[in-house]
Amino acid sequence: MNSAANLAPELLTREAAQEALRQAHEEAELFINSVPSILIEINRDARIKRWNLAATKVFGLTKAEVAGKQLAECGIQWLRPDMRVEIESWCADRESKRVDALPFVVNGETRFLGLTLNWISAPEAGIDQLLIIGSDVTEREILSQQLRQAQKLEAIGQLAAGIAHEINTPIQYVGDNTRFLQESWPAFQKLVAIAREMRKEARQGPISPQTLEQFDALSKAADFEYLQTEIPRAIEQSLDGTQRVGKIVRAMKEFSHPGSEEKRSIDINKAIETTITVARNEWKYVAEVETHFDLDLPLVPCHAGEFNQVILNLLINAAQAIAQSVADGSQGKGKIVVCTTRDEDWAEISISDTGAGIPEAVRSRVFEPFFTTKAVGKGTGQGLALAHTAIVRRHGGKIWFDSEVGKGTTFYIRMPLQSPEA
Amino acid sequence: MAKRILFVDDEPMVLNGLQRSLRLMRSEWEMVFAPGGNEALAAMEKQTFDIIVTDMRMPGMDGAQLLEEVQKRSPQTLRMVLSGQSDRETILRSVNPAHQFISKPCEAEELKSRLIRAFALKDLLQNPGLRELVTKLDNLPSLPHVYLQLNQELRRPEPELQKIDELIGADMAMTAKVLKLVNSAFFCLPCEISRASHAIKLLGLDTLRALVLTAHVFERFESDLLSAEDVQQISDHSLAVSNSARKIAVLEHGDQRMQDEAFTAGLLHDAGKLILASTLREHYGKVLEHSAKADVGLFAAEHEILACSHGQIAAYLFGLWGLPGTIVEAVAWHNEPAASLSVKFSPLAAVHVASVYHEEKSSSRLRDRTPIDSNFLTAIGCAEREKVWRSKLDADEQKGKLS
Repeated sequence: MNSAANLAPELLTREAAQEALRQAHEEAELFINSVPSILIEINRDARIKRWNLAATKVFGLTKAEVAGKQLAECGIQWLRPDMRVEIESWCADRESKRVDALPFVVNGETRFLGLTLNWISAPEAGIDQLLIIGSDVTEREILSQQLRQAQKLEAIGQLAAGIAHEINTPIQYVGDNTRFLQESWPAFQKLVAIAREMRKEARQGPISPQTLEQFDALSKAADFEYLQTEIPRAIEQSLDGTQRVGKIVRAMKEFSHPGSEEKRSIDINKAIETTITVARNEWKYVAEVETHFDLDLPLVPCHAGEFNQVILNLLINAAQAIAQSVADGSQGKGKIVVCTTRDEDWAEISISDTGAGIPEAVRSRVFEPFFTTKAVGKGTGQGLALAHTAIVRRHGGKIWFDSEVGKGTTFYIRMPLQSPEA
Repeated sequence: MAKRILFVDDEPMVLNGLQRSLRLMRSEWEMVFAPGGNEALAAMEKQTFDIIVTDMRMPGMDGAQLLEEVQKRSPQTLRMVLSGQSDRETILRSVNPAHQFISKPCEAEELKSRLIRAFALKDLLQNPGLRELVTKLDNLPSLPHVYLQLNQELRRPEPELQKIDELIGADMAMTAKVLKLVNSAFFCLPCEISRASHAIKLLGLDTLRALVLTAHVFERFESDLLSAEDVQQISDHSLAVSNSARKIAVLEHGDQRMQDEAFTAGLLHDAGKLILASTLREHYGKVLEHSAKADVGLFAAEHEILACSHGQIAAYLFGLWGLPGTIVEAVAWHNEPAASLSVKFSPLAAVHVASVYHEEKSSSRLRDRTPIDSNFLTAIGCAEREKVWRSKLDADEQKGKLS
């Protein structure tokens, strides 16, 4: 009795402890399952240990179906061919990080995941695993893609009037010159006819006075001297005009090229040149543009469309800053200087203007969204905020500026030559 | 005196091209080419020009600034814009200072014909003093109450298109101005637009709102020469003539375009009276005085005092503005159709008969008191048709009274 009495509480305590443990476990499970985010735990060999309800909902796979399997081969239809390597690297790096817009297919539909990887390590407790928290970010991803597309269209829309002008002007003089050539041609036809007549007559003796008279009359009426100087010029200028149209159309095409969501290695000198051409109508009335390109600059991994837009925004800002300070045109045009250089693992771009400069008081706010000093309708206050996002967030680069009131502003961009994710 | 044209463009190749393509006109026109606004003004110091054709976007002084300066310094010069830029901002900036807006690229032939038409307008208005006064005009005065209503409607967050159509369509000044806008080659339309409601649709409400509220393209009529009743009478008469002229065009199996032209020409035919009363007050005061004293119609009084008619004055302005030729013709000669070159039925005949028809029923002091020109109607083969037209108009009026 005694011993039993002694034992019983011991047993009871153990049972109670087990019960408490079971309950705690259940509670933890319940808690984990009620978290609306995906919660997956994997071992060092990438085998799935934990799999909550949110994961089941997103992937359409139950815990029973995936438990103990490798994350890369648990039945999720990953879209990246190198998913296995990617997951192995997560386990090998043992670093906490974010993975964005990871594509997979469920029920025949492509969705995107946003994940945070957290390595949990407690060697004394034998814990060494990767906790993956995340959610289906498809809607957000679609929205941000649409936004990027809309911004690109907006940039093109902004330029449309200027580009029309850039095309209409050469077409005007190409048309006029062609009309002039058409009107001049009959005189040459007559000239050839008279020359033939002269040749014919010369075979038989001297050229008749009538024919010579015809020649003189034609020379006088047609003003061949004028035609001889103007026709080559008209042809040259027409060729120049068609070249100008061709150049702007090509630049337009390159500028608006539907950028893939993936980064590509691009020649940023060429991309900047293209953007300068596309924006010509925005700067040419107020400034000259000078470029100093580092021709040995390697290709830079880029979202080309976004990069072009950043350059465009900076060029338009530079032109508008100059327009402010040369408004009456009495001091002639200002200058925009665009340079590229390599600095170790960085490509550096600078865009300087001889404009009004950024007042001290607003310098800290320049990259704020919706901050603008421009007149209504001239800017949305989004240009530099977007540039900042594009360079820093999307490319792992840097953007900053130097400015002196009354002298001008230089914007600097640094782009990593190695993509940070690679 | 030689006809002189000044071309201004900051792109030398455009000037070279124009010089070459218009070369065949060199015996008739003296053409001067300037690479910028300042050079253009310097050229104008040395000689006077009949027409200036300028680019819009140029470094330093742009086209609108230049034309404003030209308007001040040389009011008799006709002002045209030839621009590759056709965004709304450009429209708004040039709509007042420019008589006509031509878009680049413009065919050499088209430019030539616009210039020829502009020179031909001089024959319409022989008196150089009057010509200068009309060339200076930016705006035609609108009826005050219509002007106020339109402003009110456009200030609303969501204006009613139909109401705006009705307001503008019933006001001669506004109709003329929107037609000026759409017929200036801004819109690169394949054909001329001759009805206000089409013009409004083409402009769009946003542009119209900007034009009216910020660019002030319409002005309200103010003159101490005419009483409120006088102005109302001109307005009622114009609307009546406009509807009747359209009916006559329908009876003559005119197509939609001719019907629209007859309608608009009818609405605009007396616009010259408002121009005279509001901007040439001194002259017009004498005309009204003479008409009352000598008991003659306004048309005769105008000829006596001004040596021209309100029709010619308005037609000259509409010609400057590039309105369709048939409308300009009908407005110019509605009192004296035989003076035109017309040889067949056109809106001119419709407006002529309709205006006489409605004057016969009026006792206003602003009547022209010109009769039907039966020789003209015979010449265009409509001598017998006049009766048909009149009975249709009578019948419609009866119907109107009954209902």
